[in-house]
Amino acid sequence: MENNYMSTWKKNSVRIGSPTNLLAALTSFLPVIYLCIRFDCWPDISLVLAAWGLIALSFGAFYVVEPVSYYASLGMSGTYLSFLSGNIGNMRVPCAALALDVTKSEAGTIQAEVVSTMAICGSIITNLIATTAAALVGTAVVAVLPEAINKGLQTYASAAIFGATLGNFGLKKPKVAVIGLAIPVICKLIGGIPSWIIIVLSVFGTVGVARLFYNAEKKKAVQ
Amino acid sequence: MDYLSISNLPIFWVLASVTVIISALQAVLYIRQAKKATAVCSLDPQLPKKAFKIGLISAIGPALGVFIVMVGLMAAIGGPMAWLRLSIIGAAATELSAATLGAQACGLTGLADPNYDLMVLAVSWFGMALNGAGWLVFTGVATPGLEKLRDKMSGGDMGWLAYMSAACSIGIFAYLNANQMISGGPKINAGGTVACLSGAISMMLIGKFVVPKHPKFAEYSLGIAMIIGIALAIIFVG
Repeated sequence: MENNYMSTWKKNSVRIGSPTNLLAALTSFLPVIYLCIRFDCWPDISLVLAAWGLIALSFGAFYVVEPVSYYASLGMSGTYLSFLSGNIGNMRVPCAALALDVTKSEAGTIQAEVVSTMAICGSIITNLIATTAAALVGTAVVAVLPEAINKGLQTYASAAIFGATLGNFGLKKPKVAVIGLAIPVICKLIGGIPSWIIIVLSVFGTVGVARLFYNAEKKKAVQ
Repeated sequence: MDYLSISNLPIFWVLASVTVIISALQAVLYIRQAKKATAVCSLDPQLPKKAFKIGLISAIGPALGVFIVMVGLMAAIGGPMAWLRLSIIGAAATELSAATLGAQACGLTGLADPNYDLMVLAVSWFGMALNGAGWLVFTGVATPGLEKLRDKMSGGDMGWLAYMSAACSIGIFAYLNANQMISGGPKINAGGTVACLSGAISMMLIGKFVVPKHPKFAEYSLGIAMIIGIALAIIFVG
């Protein structure tokens, strides 16, 4: 039953995710189009293209590198959900990974798909509440919070969550985690290497190292 | 009217909400799909509820960070656009650089340039929308291809698939951590390093010593590790 349902699950995931992501790409232009119509401030198309070019130079590679790198941990529905809702590294993957852990779900099973999808949906609701609350009362709240808390959340929240998530994986695969961390640290210390190349080296380097360990473990198990 | 008060006109909240609602709607559709799969495959009916709750709770910590960052972003690009951009793909830093690059394409220094006018505002907004569309269009079109890529890399070996998924996550989080610990220069970033390492060590200690005795604790481990990481970074580095 499980294996048969997997293909249905994937088909339905595409049917929900693909149109919603493409539609959101279009509707995110609504504010700027209204702005230009109402105030008649249409910019020259060459300026928009120049801006797009500058932006693509900084971020273009990530449009491809991030979905490829995160796919294994997010799965199909998780990829659609996460790349629409954003906050992938600091929220979606940590939540999905923790939920898979707590429910003891194996990657590649329908249970894992259900669990990671539900965990990501839960985190999206929390995020929407946070951004909407920030829109309504954010300025007032930040004004009364102690400076240390504001600064701590703003500067260190992501770092602490990245560390915690890596630590969680490190518990299960300590050797892979240590070598995996060494790759980008060395790249960063050398300096001058574009971020997207470091991501590719980290992900595929770590997978390569994991393959060696996996083969060795398999050999041991056979003997 | 200056450009920030135009950015905050009520109509822009309405227009931004269209995309935010699509994101919420997509989540609702996937929740329905997951519940159906649970019934058809006769999984434990508590499973989706439990997973949803873990996501809801574990996201509180990072969402507090998003809350604070958004207040800063509202001051720079106005409430509606900050709400729209942080409810979907794109971190605050990404959006700020996209908006700034838009202004630079018009020959200005950035968002605070005195010559920043409505037309430049439009270029900044186009820049943010085009940038976000990069990820949305790629995943909207190419996700089935990513599934094939994963199948190819795993070669149908389920044991290796699980191992490889963990390795991919380790790889990307290794990069995210390295990025916080070392900034361009290269220079060691003391606060980021303390936050990353203490977050990692707390999570490992909780996982190794607390969770085996109190399994319920696992659901809160991410939030607790985050608080410890932030606190130690502030205490030791400031």
